[in-house]
Amino acid sequence: MLDELKKKAREILKAGDAQGVLGLKRGLFDVIHPHVFTAAEELDSLVTEPKWPLAKTARAILRDRPGDFRLAVAARGCDERAVVELIKRNQIDRERILILGYTCGSEQAKACLCSRPWPEKRVAGDIVEGIDPLADDRVRPYLEGDDRARMERWAEQLRRCIKCYGCRNACPICICVPCKLEDDLWVERGAVPVEMVPFHLIRAFHLSDTCVACGACQEACPAGIPLMTLQLSMREALRKEYNYEAGLEPERTSPILSDFNREPRPGQALPDWIHTMDRKT
Amino acid sequence: MSATKNVHDVRIIVFACRWCGLIGADGAGRERTALPASFRVIPVECAGFVEPDLIIRALADGVTGIAVLGCHLGGCRFSDGNHPALKRLELLRTLLDTTGIGGRRLLIGFGTAHESHQFAEMIREFHRELSELPSPGTWLAGTMKRQ
Repeated sequence: MLDELKKKAREILKAGDAQGVLGLKRGLFDVIHPHVFTAAEELDSLVTEPKWPLAKTARAILRDRPGDFRLAVAARGCDERAVVELIKRNQIDRERILILGYTCGSEQAKACLCSRPWPEKRVAGDIVEGIDPLADDRVRPYLEGDDRARMERWAEQLRRCIKCYGCRNACPICICVPCKLEDDLWVERGAVPVEMVPFHLIRAFHLSDTCVACGACQEACPAGIPLMTLQLSMREALRKEYNYEAGLEPERTSPILSDFNREPRPGQALPDWIHTMDRKT
Repeated sequence: MSATKNVHDVRIIVFACRWCGLIGADGAGRERTALPASFRVIPVECAGFVEPDLIIRALADGVTGIAVLGCHLGGCRFSDGNHPALKRLELLRTLLDTTGIGGRRLLIGFGTAHESHQFAEMIREFHRELSELPSPGTWLAGTMKRQ
């Protein structure tokens, strides 16, 4: 799989379709780090392990380079979906990015609680089935029981937060400057322990329709809080009600931003005369 | 009597759109309708103006419940401002349910300017429901501004 990926990357660099390939490099002393490969010979040191979300890095590189610089990204399924979400938010110019998708193995999918361990633009690897995160033993306890039980379970987890902002920084889609989590109006600055409800719920809700379930927040958390689980029920609600999943349809804006005529929901009653009030677009 | 005490603990913030919900709320007051004393109304330009973050912040500050009132779907002053409001707040409700705060603490209602009785009924019902909910306990209390 790695060879196919390298081959494709070489082709792209030689043909000049992109001026650089962003991927992981096994560098000096076998240290693995993100790297922009600009020469085809260099690509021998390209690796795909460990998992390292690169969407935010790609955004930073593209903002830094001149406008005619095109970047190819060696991307897992979650990387690709994150790039799509960033494109939707005008953070990445879709003309300047190329996805070199590769699949994840079933072990990785299981570790990530991933239901879709493959990219849409796949150049390497075979598709393996994902797992249903909501049925997993690592998730179910947080979604079961009555309000009281869930509240206690979550409080127990979130109480460990040391407010390192790792979840926000690691998230490939959290890009706002200034950030509400650094604003006294929403979350008291410099106060530790953190105000649990505003800090975590505001962060979680900002990503409600954008989260691509890459698990970067969870992996970055030094306290081991299952942060991705917070998003899963909202992702499920969007899938059920609007058949929407973040990162899959580049042309479709989030359903919670438009009205019920454009994004209908089964069971949502609307008066007949509403159509006469609909804007003609 | 704990039940009585609970009732007094209920604190409701009502975000009412100034074109429909607010006028209805006003009407309920003008008609001297019997209402619980637990709510305060904050006029907003449109229900779509109410950020979910505001609701989260209010809950963390110890408000028991929040009601967001807009125009009827299809009767919005701004054509479709209340549609995204409803979608967004229902999604927020999912999050509140997940974390055990309880989506029932968030009420999304629609009404027109002359539906003051509907407003009164909605607030009474909401107040009753909130006073039956268990107190938010450790996790919300632990998140209020530190002593």
